Amino acid sequence: MEGANVPDEFVPAGLSAIGIEVDEVDVAVMAATHEVFWPAILELLSLDMADVEPELCPDLSRAP
Amino acid sequence: MRAQDLSLRDQAAAIAAGDVDPNELLDATLTRIEERNPALNAIVETFPERSREMLAAAPDGPLHGVPVVIKDEWPLPWRAQRFGAAELFLATAAEESGPYRALRDAGAVIVGVGNMHELGMGTTGNISVYGPARNPWDTDRCPGGSSSGPAASTAARLVAGAVGADGLGSIRVPAAYCGLTGLKPTFARSTMEGHHLEAVTTVAVSGPLCADAADCRLLASVLFGEKLAAGDAAGLRIGVVRESVSEDVDPETREACEAAIDSLRAETGGAVHEVPLPDIEAATIAGVLIINTENLHGATPERVNNLHPDISPLNRGITKYRMLVPAVALVQAERLRAMMRRRLAALFEQVDVIAWPTVPAPAPPLDSPVVDLPSGMLAADQANVRSAALANLTGTPAISVPVGYSADGLPLALQLQAAWGRDELLLDAAEALERANERRWVESRPRLAEVEPTEA
Repeated sequence: MEGANVPDEFVPAGLSAIGIEVDEVDVAVMAATHEVFWPAILELLSLDMADVEPELCPDLSRAP
Repeated sequence: MRAQDLSLRDQAAAIAAGDVDPNELLDATLTRIEERNPALNAIVETFPERSREMLAAAPDGPLHGVPVVIKDEWPLPWRAQRFGAAELFLATAAEESGPYRALRDAGAVIVGVGNMHELGMGTTGNISVYGPARNPWDTDRCPGGSSSGPAASTAARLVAGAVGADGLGSIRVPAAYCGLTGLKPTFARSTMEGHHLEAVTTVAVSGPLCADAADCRLLASVLFGEKLAAGDAAGLRIGVVRESVSEDVDPETREACEAAIDSLRAETGGAVHEVPLPDIEAATIAGVLIINTENLHGATPERVNNLHPDISPLNRGITKYRMLVPAVALVQAERLRAMMRRRLAALFEQVDVIAWPTVPAPAPPLDSPVVDLPSGMLAADQANVRSAALANLTGTPAISVPVGYSADGLPLALQLQAAWGRDELLLDAAEALERANERRWVESRPRLAEVEPTEA
């Protein structure tokens, strides 16, 4: 199963697991959303940032 | 020229000098809203008696007697915000908010609430519980979002200035689409008090949309609670990034922005430097994930299952999808935020501003909000957040400045971004750009807002 390509299955199943109901319109919207979001999420996850120091409680109004 | 057609600062000055009666200006503004707004749906509610009460009680402040519009994102003492939607996850109530208090204490008169993209979840303004707002330059086009109403009402000169909010381009995109100047302030520098997401947002800020930078400076000073000094941006070091934000752009936009960067360099006696800024695409999804989860504040499975039937099918589906964002992706997004903040801090040691198009293409049609880019057709939302997200993710200020028109007569815009707290520099640079093009773009108006002669 190609996980990234089966929003019809895993998205409704995931939502069902947390008690959220979906209808066929939701599924169609989520499939289109998934097509946009998921490749970018996978790309973000693939970035190796192990060496990046986290910024704990950053003050976003100032430079780090 | 009628008083409604004066700039924000000139209205304030004329009232202070006794040349304009603020009661007459208020009446004329309300009349103009009645005349022009039906074609635009920019303002979703007026409240003449409340406006008259504000004027009667208005203190002598920098905006004494000046009419303004506020986005449907903050409560007013007589009206709860609706966020462009039939329902929010959090209960809202009519009450004072930071932007309301700032405007009131400056003597301004709120004449209407501006339309906005439903739940702030879009950069086009084509979805709203009130129906879409329309772009004054072409009413079949998107006005931009989510601050659609503030932008359309200011571009149509219903008012000279409006307060919007920007969580992922929501001031800059509509400013760009409507030919305005829009400032996304440094995070937390402008008031967000009373916003229903104030406690959780790390990306959203309030800010001004006006015809030009001087008016933005005035309105931003009110929202910041401090006067923003003017400078000249002399010797401006302009950074240009050769990434998708400047390369995957329609040719007219690219040409106008490159010309603007060159004229800004010449006007300020500055220099242009190519600078590296990798991972902008990753920064975009990081910003998208962060705002999409922060905006779920108050959401529970029960509430999501019982969304109001008038929430659009699109946002209903997206809201549900957002409930599944992987936690590990959010952790990664925060790590990326730290990395990009450090990169920007280092970059702003080398240059004063970085510049790329605010949006990669001019306003798309309301009924088909997609843009044609060198990489292909793309949803306008997807294209716009790529250009906007970095400033929200990192907290830096950014400004959108009009720099030309497409062959279809639609505004084109350049975005400038600076280091934290250098909002004033962005306004200085925007004014320098206005001088460089002899204020051609900030003085232009859509046909429906052409200056009306005063009666003889």
